[in-house]
Amino acid sequence: MEVTVERMAGATVVHIMGSVDGLTAETLQGALRSQVEEGNVRLVGDLSGVDYTSSAGLRALLATLKAARLQGGDLRLAAVQPNVHRVLDLSGFTSILKLYGDVDTAVASFGAASS
Amino acid sequence: MTAPLPGGAAPKRVALVIGAGSVKCAAALGLWRTLGRHGIELDMVVGCSGGSIYAAVMALGYDVDTCERLTRELWTKEVTERRDHRGLLGAFLPKLFGFDGRFGMVDDRALAKALAGPFGGRRFEEAAIPLHIVATDLANGERVVLSEGSVFDAVRASIAIPYVWRPWEVNGRRLLDGCMSDPLPIDVAMREGANVILAMGFESPYPKRIRSATRYAFQVNSIYTNNLLRANFAFHNLAHHTEIIPVLPEFDQPIGLFDTDKFPYVIAEGERATEAQMPYLHRLLATPSPAATPAPAPAAAR
Repeated sequence: MEVTVERMAGATVVHIMGSVDGLTAETLQGALRSQVEEGNVRLVGDLSGVDYTSSAGLRALLATLKAARLQGGDLRLAAVQPNVHRVLDLSGFTSILKLYGDVDTAVASFGAASS
Repeated sequence: MTAPLPGGAAPKRVALVIGAGSVKCAAALGLWRTLGRHGIELDMVVGCSGGSIYAAVMALGYDVDTCERLTRELWTKEVTERRDHRGLLGAFLPKLFGFDGRFGMVDDRALAKALAGPFGGRRFEEAAIPLHIVATDLANGERVVLSEGSVFDAVRASIAIPYVWRPWEVNGRRLLDGCMSDPLPIDVAMREGANVILAMGFESPYPKRIRSATRYAFQVNSIYTNNLLRANFAFHNLAHHTEIIPVLPEFDQPIGLFDTDKFPYVIAEGERATEAQMPYLHRLLATPSPAATPAPAPAAAR
């Protein structure tokens, strides 16, 4: 799994590539946590390159979501692939997270709301 | 079985959990075939409702081809075609015919006969892989985990779809379908010490038309079960540190209860969904765990 961070106007985009699972989730969570600790709490997770998530991946996303919201921000997801979307849906994430079709729309959503 | 790891690292205990899903649970045969092809052995099998049938045949050591044949023999129209007239009369005219809670609209003798083939006289204690089957106590809604005694009784109880088949009595408790309390019992595998869980789950379909009381009963059960499945799945994924690997076959066509001609398709989807998880599962099993959950003593019915 590879994680790259891109600053955009209004949000920080975290591009994630590969499988988010028990072997990689800690790396992802560390990368997301450091963004929150730096005050970048308006986060967009670009999941266009994520083909799989297990329970460990879900926990990493949830931990980041909680941390970002506690500081007045949010974690929003973009371009979620069907396999991952099924797991997010079954585990209730689609009812607590905002999902967008692409990164630009997700970034723009922060401009349309206070958080 | 338990995967040994170099350097004295904590071993991986691998469980397969097969959730409720009626005939779609036959996809577990595809999963099983795939695990065999990859040389991955299981430390335990947990089944609920339709999934209990496949958990039991795997644990008892039937081969995949035999299981496919047994499946075809089980899911026939004869299993549901006879109404339980005495039960129906008791339900609608209780003062006249009496009603004691052992209610089902469908006569269960054909079902019992079909289950007796693979499970008659078989016991948990003779299973090659530790087996746990989930049912629900009608008296209080508790999840009941059956891990010893008669496999036939456990499977019959676990598939006692409310309103459709009458509850089944085991150890003095009147038991209903396990999907009423734990449609994808990941938590049972956790409690039994698994730290890698392959979770094959299914959402129940919603038919386009409801043209019979039986279909209405199926519909209501599907609503309850699907919502419970989602709630439990979310909780188990987020509240624990066990690695849960979802295996979710996708069906692009409806699978009816008696669509035995679609078994090859259902099994193939199970293979496809499992094959997709194999690269990760191999990597995971080859990686030491920081800590393992100790295996508890053998469980009795709880």
